[in-house]
Amino acid sequence: MDFLRTLLNRIAELFAHAHHDRNLDDDIAAHLDLLIRDHMANGMSEADARTAALRDFGGITQTRETYRTQRGFPRLEQFARDLRYAARQLRRSPGFTLTAVLTLALGLGANIAVFSLLNCILLRPLTVPNSDELAVITIVQNNDEHGPNNAFSAPFLRSLEKHHDGFASIAGYSTRPFQVRDQGSNVRVPGAMVSGQFFGMLETPPSLGRWLTPRDDREGQANLAVISDSYWKTRFHRDAAVIGQTLTIANQPFTIVGVMPSSFTGADPTYRPEIYVPAWAEPIIEAPYNAMAEGYHSWWLRMLGRRAPGVSLEQANAALGALSDGILDESIPDTKWIKNARSHHFHFVGEPGSRGYSYIRETFRKPLVVVFVLCSAMLLLACINLASLLMARAAARERELATRLAMGASRMRLIQQLLVESLLIALLGTAAGLIAAPLVSRSLATILIGNAGDYIMLDTSLDLRVLAFVALVAVLSTLLVGLVPALRATSKSLNEQIKSGSLSVHARQHRLLPRLLMSTQVALALILVTGAGLLATSLKRLHGIDVGFQPAGLVNVRLEVDKQSRDGEALAAWYRQYLDELARLPGIKALAYVSFPPMSGSVWTEDMHTTVSRGDQQIYMNSISTGYFNTLMIPILAGRDFQWNDGPSSGLKIILSDGAAQKLFPGQNAIGQSITQTDGTEGKKVFQVVGIVGGIHYVDLREKALLEAYVPMTQNTDHKPSYVAVARIDGSAAPLATAARQLASRMAPEIPAPVLTQMMANIEGTIASERIMAMLAIFFAICALLVTAIGLYGTLAYSTARRTSEIGIRMALGAKRAQVVRLVFRENASIAIYGSLAGLMASWCAARTLASLLYSTSARDPWVLLASVFVLGLIASAASLVPSIRAARIDPSTALRSE
Amino acid sequence: MGDNKSDVLQGTLDLMVLKTLEAMSPLHGYGIARRIEQVSSNSLVLNQGTIYPALLRLEQRGWIKSEWGTSETNRRARFYSLSRIGRKKITEETENWERIAATMARFLAPSN
Repeated sequence: MDFLRTLLNRIAELFAHAHHDRNLDDDIAAHLDLLIRDHMANGMSEADARTAALRDFGGITQTRETYRTQRGFPRLEQFARDLRYAARQLRRSPGFTLTAVLTLALGLGANIAVFSLLNCILLRPLTVPNSDELAVITIVQNNDEHGPNNAFSAPFLRSLEKHHDGFASIAGYSTRPFQVRDQGSNVRVPGAMVSGQFFGMLETPPSLGRWLTPRDDREGQANLAVISDSYWKTRFHRDAAVIGQTLTIANQPFTIVGVMPSSFTGADPTYRPEIYVPAWAEPIIEAPYNAMAEGYHSWWLRMLGRRAPGVSLEQANAALGALSDGILDESIPDTKWIKNARSHHFHFVGEPGSRGYSYIRETFRKPLVVVFVLCSAMLLLACINLASLLMARAAARERELATRLAMGASRMRLIQQLLVESLLIALLGTAAGLIAAPLVSRSLATILIGNAGDYIMLDTSLDLRVLAFVALVAVLSTLLVGLVPALRATSKSLNEQIKSGSLSVHARQHRLLPRLLMSTQVALALILVTGAGLLATSLKRLHGIDVGFQPAGLVNVRLEVDKQSRDGEALAAWYRQYLDELARLPGIKALAYVSFPPMSGSVWTEDMHTTVSRGDQQIYMNSISTGYFNTLMIPILAGRDFQWNDGPSSGLKIILSDGAAQKLFPGQNAIGQSITQTDGTEGKKVFQVVGIVGGIHYVDLREKALLEAYVPMTQNTDHKPSYVAVARIDGSAAPLATAARQLASRMAPEIPAPVLTQMMANIEGTIASERIMAMLAIFFAICALLVTAIGLYGTLAYSTARRTSEIGIRMALGAKRAQVVRLVFRENASIAIYGSLAGLMASWCAARTLASLLYSTSARDPWVLLASVFVLGLIASAASLVPSIRAARIDPSTALRSE
Repeated sequence: MGDNKSDVLQGTLDLMVLKTLEAMSPLHGYGIARRIEQVSSNSLVLNQGTIYPALLRLEQRGWIKSEWGTSETNRRARFYSLSRIGRKKITEETENWERIAATMARFLAPSN
């Protein structure tokens, strides 16, 4: 109570300074007056009485000082004074301040932006209660090439739902766009199919109605749905009567039973479902497909669990591991499969899952960490640069500081004051960086997502973790920037030196520290430049890859016909008519259908064999219409293209890539020969080869010569297969986009509007992370070079100015101008050489970590390393030019007179 | 300064000020200082300046209050008096001090 009152009073008094000082002075004056009066009454002279009064009172200044200390917050006031002093100092040299603040803003802004991205993809936990109890369930076998498997089939889900010792609840889910009826046609809405315990496991109460329970997730139950807050807002305008209304999903009515709050994103932090339906409804949502019925052949679910209270992850995993065998027996009807799984120690493992499951996390982890390291190096470089600039400034103030030390200012006090100056710079830089960071991180996120998938959301907003990071970085950079210069400026040896009056006696030793800092800076810059060079070379090589077709000018029109009524011949006729109508548009040069356009993210593989193929070969399949090779400009090397009349009755036809032909028929002519599909679900299929075409890049740019084969869409027996119309066009894709949509809505109003993508954009998308890494690395490298150049120039210019008299003497003693130039030049040259050596060594050592990110580029590529050293040498020379010319122009007589 | 005079113990000054103000108020700083010296029969060395930080401390705690008035020599000065809280606190502080004094007395008593 007393403490609180005192605190409040003190705060109040902070704002009434001068006023209070005057009041105390009045009190003291009155006090002394009374003392003098009393002493005089005792018979003293006025002068004696005054002396006695002052003695009785004790030190007036001391009283004032104690009084002030008692009154407010002296440390705070001192800090405010230092801050005002620092602000004055910075205002006096606006050029330096601007450079310093901008340098730091750049470094800090980049760091904050990249960290926000890192935070949202790698660090941020799900916004559900007690997220630390969650675990991502995986399947581990000792023959896994790519680590634990996150995909589950329905039988495993149903089994684990029943037996989950160690876990309070366990749930599976699968996300994908749903086709939802909206004003007569179907639109794509991101959705999730979730098992019964899903909502109970995530523990987030609905904001309206109820969530889905285990009882709702049973075959034959009513079609129920829970919607997100944003869907409630956009589709239902926050109408509370939404409960009980129906949504038509995949042509079936679903009754809405609840609305989730806006913070809830399900179990994947990078995907926001608008609609949740029970997992049992998968056959409705996915019609005509049925992953539920395919059992252990279809791996379409992700699984999470919540540990039971008081059970550690190790204990929960031990319990789960013990269950694995029984679950295998219960869910898989295939003894061969079980035997194989057991031989590889099949078991379930829960991994820490507070951040939920996101498949893009693994994709982006490495690029993000690399970028983060690069921008940290940039920040470090910026800080070191500022430290050396500050050191130069502090040296200019060394007389002032030495005088103050001599007059009794404590070293701590001076250091504190100098640190406040760097703190102010850091604060300004942080503020500028914070303003720019959200913008940068958002655009980075957009590039990064590229075509990683539909409906990916990266929430890069600032949260407590980011702000804590910002505070940490700001404080660290303050110390990095300010501490060394402050310690040095107030060091005793310097003081001694000034006393001795000879500034240049210890010059060599005096310059060691700045030179060390500058060399570090050069080394860091070299690392950044080398990294950028390597990443850019790799990107250039990726761009130079021949993909086997001409992607420029190709547009994909993705049609989704699985939820409309036509099928079989009617659908085939519809497809042909749609293509004919599109072909009439001006600017269309060629058109064809394909089920999986190259590098679109989806692939279809089958195992095939021939009598001479030495066992099964994995073949990358595609279903196409006639004209596909012509449209993509894939050369037909032998045989023929498909025809519209290659119908179901004319025997199964196949076209091979030359690579596949060589593998399946080594040393033979493949045309006319037969290929057998090894494990067809609908019995044995035998294809006759009718053509051989050039190979293409099917999956991504980095792939190495896959075996491809094409089958005609006219022989496709799937129900309601969806195809992509590929068009080669002249000029803009906009008219095609409008026409394709209008045509689709006229010819089949119930299908969702076709989605158009450019083939080039797809290809760019597959190397989005490479592109962003190279872009940022180049940006950081340019900044690093700029900062290094400024630093090298600044420190050299300063040290040369300090050596004016020395150079004057040298010249008076007969040194030639060329010798003076060499003398000055040598200083930066040695910094550049030592720095480059250190940087080269570091790059050499770091090569291994970068190697896996590079495409056909050695991480120790001698040309890149040489070029980087050359660039830095050039920068160092450029930075030394002006100071050395200035030194050569020194007039010996003026230089000597000035001392 | 004679040997029989002692420095004011830290913390005791506050209680002396409070007791003084309980006996007579309002009183200005000089008056309080004089009164303390008189009561202690001049056996205390009091740097009279130290009274002001003590007064400020007590005022910040809300135990005393002040108002402006005119001193005997016609100068502007603050006159202090006890607040309601201060009156209550005196009892508490007095008991506190007596306990300490009693403890000290036991320590200082000749051991038997």
